[in-house]
Amino acid sequence: MSTNQEPGGRSFITVRAAELAVAAFTAIVGAVVMHGSYEQGIGWEDSGPQSGYFPFYIGMIMLAASLGTIVLTLKDWRALARSFVERAPFAHVMSVFLPVCVYGVAIRLLGMYIASLLFIGWFMWHAKGEVRHARWKVVVVPAAVVLASYLIFERWFQVPLYNGPLLAHFGIGQ
Amino acid sequence: MQEFSYLLDGMLVVTTPYHLLLMVAGVLLGILVGVLPGLGAPNGVTLLLPLTFTMPPTAAIILLTCMYWGALFGGSITSILFNIPGEPSSVATTFDGYPLARQGRATEALTAAFSSALLGALTGVLLITFLSSYIAKFAMSFSSPEFFAVYLLAFCSFIGMSKNPPLKTVVALMLGFAMAAVGMDTISGNLRLTYGMPELLKGISFEIAVIGLFGIGEILCTVEEGLVFRGEHAKISVKAVLKTWASLPKYWATLLRSAAIGCWMGITPGGPTAASFMSYSAAKKFSRNKDNFGKGELEGVIAPETADHAAGTSALLPMLTLGIPGSATAAVMLGGLMIWGLQPGPMLFVEQKDFVWSLIASMYLGNVVSLIVVLSTIPLFAAILRIPFSIIAPVIVMVCTIGAYSVHGSMFDVALMFGFGALGYLFKKLGYPIAPLVLAAVLGDKTEGAFRQSMLFSNGELSIFWSNPLVGTLTTCAILLATWPLLMRALKYVTSGFNGRTVKN
Repeated sequence: MSTNQEPGGRSFITVRAAELAVAAFTAIVGAVVMHGSYEQGIGWEDSGPQSGYFPFYIGMIMLAASLGTIVLTLKDWRALARSFVERAPFAHVMSVFLPVCVYGVAIRLLGMYIASLLFIGWFMWHAKGEVRHARWKVVVVPAAVVLASYLIFERWFQVPLYNGPLLAHFGIGQ
Repeated sequence: MQEFSYLLDGMLVVTTPYHLLLMVAGVLLGILVGVLPGLGAPNGVTLLLPLTFTMPPTAAIILLTCMYWGALFGGSITSILFNIPGEPSSVATTFDGYPLARQGRATEALTAAFSSALLGALTGVLLITFLSSYIAKFAMSFSSPEFFAVYLLAFCSFIGMSKNPPLKTVVALMLGFAMAAVGMDTISGNLRLTYGMPELLKGISFEIAVIGLFGIGEILCTVEEGLVFRGEHAKISVKAVLKTWASLPKYWATLLRSAAIGCWMGITPGGPTAASFMSYSAAKKFSRNKDNFGKGELEGVIAPETADHAAGTSALLPMLTLGIPGSATAAVMLGGLMIWGLQPGPMLFVEQKDFVWSLIASMYLGNVVSLIVVLSTIPLFAAILRIPFSIIAPVIVMVCTIGAYSVHGSMFDVALMFGFGALGYLFKKLGYPIAPLVLAAVLGDKTEGAFRQSMLFSNGELSIFWSNPLVGTLTTCAILLATWPLLMRALKYVTSGFNGRTVKN
């Protein structure tokens, strides 16, 4: 249960570091909620509690619980030195998460269709392991998927997708 | 009994070609969504919601519930064939399902899983059929304090009863409430917590959180082990199916017990996931072949599946009668009902009786349709998972993005969704539960409304929550449930303290 990672077996990211980071994040969120609610008024008025009353205590409880988690993490400092994630798995996660973030920004600039084309193409181009895609597939498959989504979403379900400033410049889309 | 005649009326409404087509479509979509990691039942239902706005509520809810059953089935397929639980509630199915598949007994495992799932689901629907009117009638006497107490009970049961650390559950709950609070205050009309950002005027929708936490977060977790899927083959032979069906009755005790556990966990917000684990452990404890559990014991597949589906179905009972969802997917459906202008709760049974009984009738049909569809399409879905990860993963992310965008047409929501994705990854790994977050996000406004109304009645006295036996019991139970782990520990300390000092762990 308690694994002491002495020098020689140091984890990439330890559980205790991750716990502290997340608990700190939620503590900050709690504080922000408290602050925002305070501005709305946390007292009483004729029509009952003011707007900020309920969220203020929500934020307070969140802050308190987060601080509690931080305290518990500090208490178990030694035991929680075990690994949260190792270098290789983390690299795998980042190899998906980072392109996803870039995709998000790309949608904002290039619109949903072009960004998706590049996004799927990127993953196919960088496919590791068993499957290596032929060059033509890297172009055709994303194009087919994007065309299909256009037909399904914009035509059939009538859900307009974001076209972005680039296409708008050419007079396409909103 | 009156319920039968209502049920028959509902059956008549539901058995039209259009509705049956919707059932099949819903199940197929559901299996697809359950089979692909990153798209689970809550996520899939959320993605379909905007598409249902143009449908009549009856058709829409049939589509969504059938998708729910389909997703539960789909999760079992990947659990057994690929050792990848497509749903959190199908994790327990991997314990014995995958070993069975490796022994070449995939058909048996799949058939047993689906059939016991059907039986579990039918138990849940029977429960709904006969209990819902009584509960709804009973809930008619509820006023704001009672409603708040019931909500409190639901939230507190998460804190005390789940195996997640209580503090983390509290944080998840509060996060959900905070999300619900952003935007316009429903009572006074003030803008809250928007910090001057116009994008936050419409608040943070629960759909964004669900898609991000369950969708992107799930993919990130799955990807840790590598960006690839590997699985066993499965072809359904009718002979094997019939043979397995013939062998099911001898597991009647397991089926009954698992169904009971599932129904209980569905009604109290334990959820299908907790139900499946509890049922597996119980089956293992009571079985004659307990040593074979984990190595390919059919009972080890029957138990969690029955409980899982029983819970999934009965989670709709408190959702319909009290407006309290018993699972994350039920929470999303509740959100959907509210968006369509329906108010789940006791008034639904009075004002929208046709809708409710059509829904209940559709659950019987939907489950049977699901079984037929899933048995005939397993090879198709198994093949889909052979599509390389490098194509499937980005397509899933794209679908999630479209889903998030379609909620309000806002790119800010998309960015928020990615943020929730990262949070989902961290939360899952650190043991922060996500279901209570979704519940709080969906119920936040109503809970706050009930609280403020109660405070208005009582002029700020908290004692209104103990003003009559009903509300007092509910509130006290809520507090007891929330502090249960503390109480248990205190009790243990006190009783063992008399036998000398306990060893600090």
